[in-house]
Amino acid sequence: MKGTELKYEDLEGLFKGLLDKKAVDCLILPHRIGNNVAHMMVTDMDKIEPPVPAIFAPSFGVNAANIVKGWTIPEKVGIVAKPCEIRAAIELIKLKQMDNESVLLISVDCSGTFKNQDYADHYGEIGDWVESAKIEELKGKGVAIRESCEICDNRLADVGDIGIARVDGEKVLVVGITDKGVEALSAIEGISLEDKEIERKEEKEKIAADAKKKEEELPKISSVEELEEFLKDCIVCKNCRDMCPVCYCKECFFDQPLGNPVGGDLLNLAELRGAIGVPANQLMYHLTRVYHVSTTCVGCGACEDACPKDIPLTRFYPVIAKKVQEIFEYVPGKDVEEPLPFITYEEEELEDKLR
Amino acid sequence: MGEEAKEEFEPKIIGFTCNWCTYAGADLAGTSRKKYPPNVRLIRLMCSGRLDPMFVLKVLLNGADAVFIGGCHPGECHYIKGNFYARRRIAAIRTILKEFGLDNRVRSEWCSASEGDKFARIMKEMAEDIKKLGPNPMRGKVL
Repeated sequence: MKGTELKYEDLEGLFKGLLDKKAVDCLILPHRIGNNVAHMMVTDMDKIEPPVPAIFAPSFGVNAANIVKGWTIPEKVGIVAKPCEIRAAIELIKLKQMDNESVLLISVDCSGTFKNQDYADHYGEIGDWVESAKIEELKGKGVAIRESCEICDNRLADVGDIGIARVDGEKVLVVGITDKGVEALSAIEGISLEDKEIERKEEKEKIAADAKKKEEELPKISSVEELEEFLKDCIVCKNCRDMCPVCYCKECFFDQPLGNPVGGDLLNLAELRGAIGVPANQLMYHLTRVYHVSTTCVGCGACEDACPKDIPLTRFYPVIAKKVQEIFEYVPGKDVEEPLPFITYEEEELEDKLR
Repeated sequence: MGEEAKEEFEPKIIGFTCNWCTYAGADLAGTSRKKYPPNVRLIRLMCSGRLDPMFVLKVLLNGADAVFIGGCHPGECHYIKGNFYARRRIAAIRTILKEFGLDNRVRSEWCSASEGDKFARIMKEMAEDIKKLGPNPMRGKVL
């Protein structure tokens, strides 16, 4: 892999260079608003303001991939985001909801994130980056990172076209992961590329082991009764669907008469069963949605953040999706060339999973 | 309720069968006068690949006790590869249902048009298995 080591303050020049050299027509990157961090889309390079390290801020508001869902125009968009967001974008490319030729995906290291409102409230203590020791300390004070981040094993910037990894001493390692990424980097003035490696096997294994342990500690939903109890507060507002980066149908089944029955349709359903819970299809909605995102869920936790009833959906969507991904040995967002599990097959497989 | 009611429990099984194989296999079982329990209600699909896993969810949520899915043997699909896709989908939905202990209510088998015997045997086995398992926990629930 080709890359270069930069100082923190050089990042500003890097992003300006991408716009200046027309490697991208616009750039989506996190920027600071007071204590908070939110995404912005910039086309004018003078609007990129220092300090750029807001890109590492451990705050999650919306999954950036959701912003560019449906980006099929030829103009190029660069996305500077956390690995889960980049992985969701890669899944969207595979789902033909984005054009691979018109995106430049730039992943940055993630430490695990706080809900953006928690982050803003405790910005003084958290800062632009948190180490794992600090995360534990803050947890003791009742400020915890999001559950989906606790069980995430893909926090390192090794996906997308370009990866930006943190190295000791206020420095970053910028590496072109794909040819497209290398090409974009080499166009920027003042950057000379050398052989660099962004794979950090040991660190990755440690993160994965910790994540697995945390996942095992999560409360399990192991029967239909428990699932009913878990979802009892659900008002079927479908916010989890709207904020999910990989839920993409233009016309969702649950917006149509069968999925969202009104008037006579609702009465018919009630007559069929004698009594139904309303709003209708609560269990059906979540079970269908978990099947629909089962192979592509990147576990970003946007569904949980979006839930107005504070249902801890991380214990449902990513946990169950991972089980399905395991049987297909598929890691969503790892490789843009790897086919989605449901559009490919092996001639001999899965016979033990059928009966 | 109690012991007596359990004895009388007759499971309701919804079967989704491929037009080219299992449906014809069921037909053959009938014409060759094979006996099997009358618990299954068949729904004919043109291919097991037509089975949207939502059907399985809907059947179970509406209170049926089990779902049977019948398709052509791998490699013998009338549409070349419909059952290969079906196999992946069924494996996925069963993996999800397994989390909630419902996977043993979904069974899929490859059964060709000439395997009337096999069809009758599967139906017999399934009716027995589901009787042992008892009614679907979602039966009669306000969902």
